[in-house]
Amino acid sequence: MHRKAGWWAEAERHSWRGDNTCRAAKPGSQLMRRAFGAFLMAATVATSSGARAAPTQLLFLAEDVPTTLNYDGPSPTVNTSQTGWLNLLDPLWDYAIKGTNEDGLRIPDFSKFEGRLVQSWDYDPATLTWTLHLRHGVVGCTGDAFTADDVIYTFARAKSVSGKTTVSWFLSHVADIKGFESLKDPNKVLGDGVEKVDDYTVKIRQDHPNPFLQAVSTTHAMRIWDSKIMKAHATADDPWSQDYANNVNAPGFGPYCLERWVKGDEFVVRANPHYYLGNAPIDEVVMKKVPQSSNRMVILRSGQAQIVQGLTAREYASLRGAKGVQVAGVYGNESLFISANFASPLYKNLLVREAVAYGIDYDQVIKTGYLGQARKADGPIPSSFPGRIQPSAQFNYDPAKAKALLTQAGFPNGAGLDKYPDDLKLTYAAEREATLGPIATVIQTSLRAAGLPIVLDPVPQTQVATRRMVRNDLPLALSDIDKSAVIDSVYATLLLYVSHANGGIINVNNYVNPDVDKLYPEAASAGSVTERDKILAEIQNKVQDDLAMIPIAETKTQWAFSDKLKGLTWHPDNAVHWYDLSLSK
Amino acid sequence: VRLSFIARRLGFGLLQLLALAPVVFFMIRLLPADPVSRLVGLNATPEAYQAAKHGLGLDQPMPVQLGNYLGLLGKPGLLQGDFGTSWSTGEPVLTDIRRTLPVTIELITLSFLCAFLVSFPIGMLCATRPEGLADRATFLFGLFAGSQPEFWWGVLFIYVFFYVLNVAPPPLGRLDPLLVPPATVTGFITVDSILAWNGGALLDGLHHLMLPVATKVFVLSGPIIKMVRQNMLRVLGADFMLYAESCGLPRRVLARYALRNALPPALTLIGVLYGYVLGGAVLIETIFSLDGIGQYAVNAVLNLDYPAIQGVVLVITAVSLLVYLALDVLQAAIDPRVAD
Repeated sequence: MHRKAGWWAEAERHSWRGDNTCRAAKPGSQLMRRAFGAFLMAATVATSSGARAAPTQLLFLAEDVPTTLNYDGPSPTVNTSQTGWLNLLDPLWDYAIKGTNEDGLRIPDFSKFEGRLVQSWDYDPATLTWTLHLRHGVVGCTGDAFTADDVIYTFARAKSVSGKTTVSWFLSHVADIKGFESLKDPNKVLGDGVEKVDDYTVKIRQDHPNPFLQAVSTTHAMRIWDSKIMKAHATADDPWSQDYANNVNAPGFGPYCLERWVKGDEFVVRANPHYYLGNAPIDEVVMKKVPQSSNRMVILRSGQAQIVQGLTAREYASLRGAKGVQVAGVYGNESLFISANFASPLYKNLLVREAVAYGIDYDQVIKTGYLGQARKADGPIPSSFPGRIQPSAQFNYDPAKAKALLTQAGFPNGAGLDKYPDDLKLTYAAEREATLGPIATVIQTSLRAAGLPIVLDPVPQTQVATRRMVRNDLPLALSDIDKSAVIDSVYATLLLYVSHANGGIINVNNYVNPDVDKLYPEAASAGSVTERDKILAEIQNKVQDDLAMIPIAETKTQWAFSDKLKGLTWHPDNAVHWYDLSLSK
Repeated sequence: VRLSFIARRLGFGLLQLLALAPVVFFMIRLLPADPVSRLVGLNATPEAYQAAKHGLGLDQPMPVQLGNYLGLLGKPGLLQGDFGTSWSTGEPVLTDIRRTLPVTIELITLSFLCAFLVSFPIGMLCATRPEGLADRATFLFGLFAGSQPEFWWGVLFIYVFFYVLNVAPPPLGRLDPLLVPPATVTGFITVDSILAWNGGALLDGLHHLMLPVATKVFVLSGPIIKMVRQNMLRVLGADFMLYAESCGLPRRVLARYALRNALPPALTLIGVLYGYVLGGAVLIETIFSLDGIGQYAVNAVLNLDYPAIQGVVLVITAVSLLVYLALDVLQAAIDPRVAD
């Protein structure tokens, strides 16, 4: 009996796959399976009591699958992990959709928030208090109803600082929520900063006027947990179910429910039958790890997968125009920068930084590194960000001017630069050699022609991270990972250009400009968009004049997918939100 | 084979592992990078960084860290069979290894079995007719297969057999992703699908192993054929074989004598190759999207995941030691003088 059941379950599974229109047939392959399949089909047809609707499935290939579903867990900035929990957990707010771009990708409107788990909201500027009226009728994967308790649990968990990392605490801090002032605060209990009024009303109080609350709530790390399930998996050693979220599930109120998760292999979800915005158009999504980008490309071309990410520029280019495949991208929040360290004896000299900026052959970088799918960056903040301007100082490729600046700095034709061997190393992550290697070579060639004898220095990513983040001692680094998930120029300023002493977050190259530090809080608390944009323009001009970072290129965030797939939407987390997608027959 | 021989070898292996543990512990801490920065991400504040460092126990003095790792300070550690928790996956390292090791062992063992079955008859054939057509063809094959690295052959095989000819499955791991895998008992898909009486999974699993195993066999069989051929030539020319032949013994008996004497060096080669291939399985695993121990090890190193690195090194060493032991037992069974 047991034997029969085993074979039978398999038969059902195969018959279901046989109906799947999104998978290409594999003619000529699997001879043994054919005979087996014929038997199974016959068995299924003979016993099925009636036809059933064919479920739609999506095979999504990525570099990895989630290693955690906990945004306060290990390595929460990894895109593939974020993709996991972003499809299981819903936010309080999200951005409205503005329209589609030239590639057909749907683009959010960063000036307009839509309630997701919040139905409506009020803000009282006198008391800096937000009153959130929560959505009724929201049900999670196991049938739990969403209430204010879930919101309170989520913020209390952030306040507990009990995870391997503290991303949700940090974002609450960025939003100036009362009670999230300092990580050193020994009180780890949520006070009245986030308070339940009734089952469907919550109040959030801020310490200062701050525009970020809604924006940070759209990001990957302020998603609402299903408190009942989380509490059911709490233990004395792990009262906030960090292990459960790291290794088992992320229970929430999102469009999908986790069905199967094998770390390093696959991540399978099914549509949440109770989802408050309506059932997802695709019933089952299989996210599969295929480490080789060329394999992801080949499998997509074969028709067996419907969407892939993380291809090289050359692979995306080769897929443009391929039959049955579409490539779409967006100039979102990804940029290529060189950071020249202000603590370095060489680069503390503005003339040398300017020589570097004039010495880079930007067109060749875009042609070689991105095959045209990038554009020259002309400012310190990406052009998609509201409040962003093109600063008056512009640095275009001009080797003669670069040489003249070097001479002015005391290094005629590069003479004397040999005293700074460490400063002449252009460091980048060796793991990103396929993308950054050719770019670094173009930069090296053009800077050498301008008189700067740059040496390439690919080192392991862990070393890059340590030296940039912890020690801030990399003299010259090439990076394409410094991006803001909050599409806001004020936030980007805080992230990249405010000094550490004044709360700056990344600022990897020890940049300090007291004017920028002074202007940032003014921009953050500006009373109107006009006033805020005026201050932001001043900040961006100063940052560009100082060459706090040397902007090189704005790069496209891209995906390749079946032409039957519709609805792909860019979100600032750069993850694919499967609820957006549908498959045409 | 005497049990004392096996017990002696096992005890010696255990001592080797115990000596290796602190060496690995200190060596990975000499790497010039900081695992905490990798763990907390780029947006972390200095306070968050310190909190994470404390959470990992990396703010403790080195002897205390070693004591905790070995399990000498009250909490369970290596000596109690606890390898710790991976910093990058959040799972106990043993759980991760139980998941990934069978994938690699299954791949490599099947590859060696197939390579052995293919190489021995060919090697013997070449030895019986040196410089014959088969011998020359085999020589050319050895040169051809060995002329390119295995990852290149893997990519080429995928392109030809999957993309162009469509006779192989896509490189999507051990099973079709839309297939429900059998319940995990041993971790070996082949064994688990038989235990679950799941014919679909068994066939699909074997089908997905087809190309990676073919790639391995393609590369491995060259040196094994050469080794078998040389040994057979040596044995066939030995005095005892000439004597046996002159006595008029039947060919099958002569073949058995020759095989028995040609086997030990080939087995030694296979043992050495097994350890080597196990350590370098990551290339073939990456190409065929197999979530094996090789990929796990590389991820652990790239993430500076100390508990995972320590666990993987010890387990791979233990597997290699067990393989050597198994080969020694086989050698001793073939030639009892070895066990003395």
